[in-house]
Amino acid sequence: MAVKIEAFGQLSEITGKAFVVDVRDTDQLTSVLRDKYHALTNIKYLLAVNRKLVTGNIQLDATDTIALLPPYSGG
Amino acid sequence: MDANNEQYERYKRQVPLPGFGKEGQEKLSRAKVLVVGAGGLGCPVIQYLAAAGIGTIGIIDGDRVELSNLHRQVLYAMDDIGHLKAAVAAGKVRKVNPQIDCREYPFIITNKNALALIGDYDIVVDCTDNFVSRYILADACRLLDKPLVFAAVFQFEGQVAVFNMPAANGQKSSYRDLFPEPPDAASAPDCNIAGVLGVLPGIIGMLQATEVIKIITSIGETLSGKLLNYDIRSLNNIIIELDRRKQQTGPVTREEFESMDYEWFCGSSSIPGIDKVALTEMLAIPNTIAIDVREMNESPEASFPHRRIPLSAFNQLPDLSGFDNIIVFCQGGTRSVKAAGMLKEKQGTEINIFHLLGGLTAYNQD
Repeated sequence: MAVKIEAFGQLSEITGKAFVVDVRDTDQLTSVLRDKYHALTNIKYLLAVNRKLVTGNIQLDATDTIALLPPYSGG
Repeated sequence: MDANNEQYERYKRQVPLPGFGKEGQEKLSRAKVLVVGAGGLGCPVIQYLAAAGIGTIGIIDGDRVELSNLHRQVLYAMDDIGHLKAAVAAGKVRKVNPQIDCREYPFIITNKNALALIGDYDIVVDCTDNFVSRYILADACRLLDKPLVFAAVFQFEGQVAVFNMPAANGQKSSYRDLFPEPPDAASAPDCNIAGVLGVLPGIIGMLQATEVIKIITSIGETLSGKLLNYDIRSLNNIIIELDRRKQQTGPVTREEFESMDYEWFCGSSSIPGIDKVALTEMLAIPNTIAIDVREMNESPEASFPHRRIPLSAFNQLPDLSGFDNIIVFCQGGTRSVKAAGMLKEKQGTEINIFHLLGGLTAYNQD
């Protein structure tokens, strides 16, 4: 199903700020993103579903909003 | 004006705040806060903490003021160029608020000096500009169970979080829960490469100072267990609730912390880490081998097929060129990163090299 994704920091330069991806769970999401945007292969980012950090694989719902946040180093 | 009167005059605009009072002011004056980094984030943090009346402020920074700093590091002026930031910043603090015990440390934080420095303070503020210092601080503060007010910036966005303080669910999180391992330097460029709008570290640093004051005075709700992402272009901010990762990475003892090579660790992040599930899947692939890099006297033996090559013997590695995939593992997931990096250096890109996240400790947890 189509879920809404929002990318932050340097990720948004690769994927665009907001977009929609057709996936069923977070594992599929990361693999679809990796296939679609080769530049993501070597980038670490955290994935939040409905503003909660997700570390394992979870099922996604059409109403879910997903945030992709990379680490920043500047100070 | 006597000292008490002067104190009254100085703080009379913040003492009447609800929940603050004389008690809040006294808490601030008893507090000891260590600011690591006196750059874009550090400047507002230091200035506002000094103005608010934090009793003891430590400033760590080994850099000197440069002209290219002045567009965002507003504590400094033209005649400070070439001088040590820690000394200049401490001098300004003393001018603003002579009551403050301001200690300057004109050198960089390392895993050799971190525990001793941090041990003297109640709260640590991460205003550094590189992953080596960030992981050193995160690991040191986690080992010492010291509240760490973290922030980092990139171009138009900033992140703020409070680590090692119990969140609403009682859990404490660490930077390692967000990013167990550092990214490639190329994928997370710093301000020198990516650029930064001058006001951004100002805003984000002030949020850090705010969190410090909130922690000390128990006013409001801190960002403990949460990560704030602040975008100055849209002012669309989101707060992510954090969770402790099942597989904890990073050193668990002082000895392990002090013997880690953080420079190497942060430069070597191109080694992908895999978890138990991925390991089991990979071991079913032909021409794949798992290597235990613990020393020969370390036990228990791993329950999956593997070969033992201790890290100390890595200078004379056997021929591994027949393999397509190598997974390196150790007890806690630290030495394996180092070993994987050494392997990669020797084997080049011919073989895919991975390491087991969190080592056998994490593997045996479930």
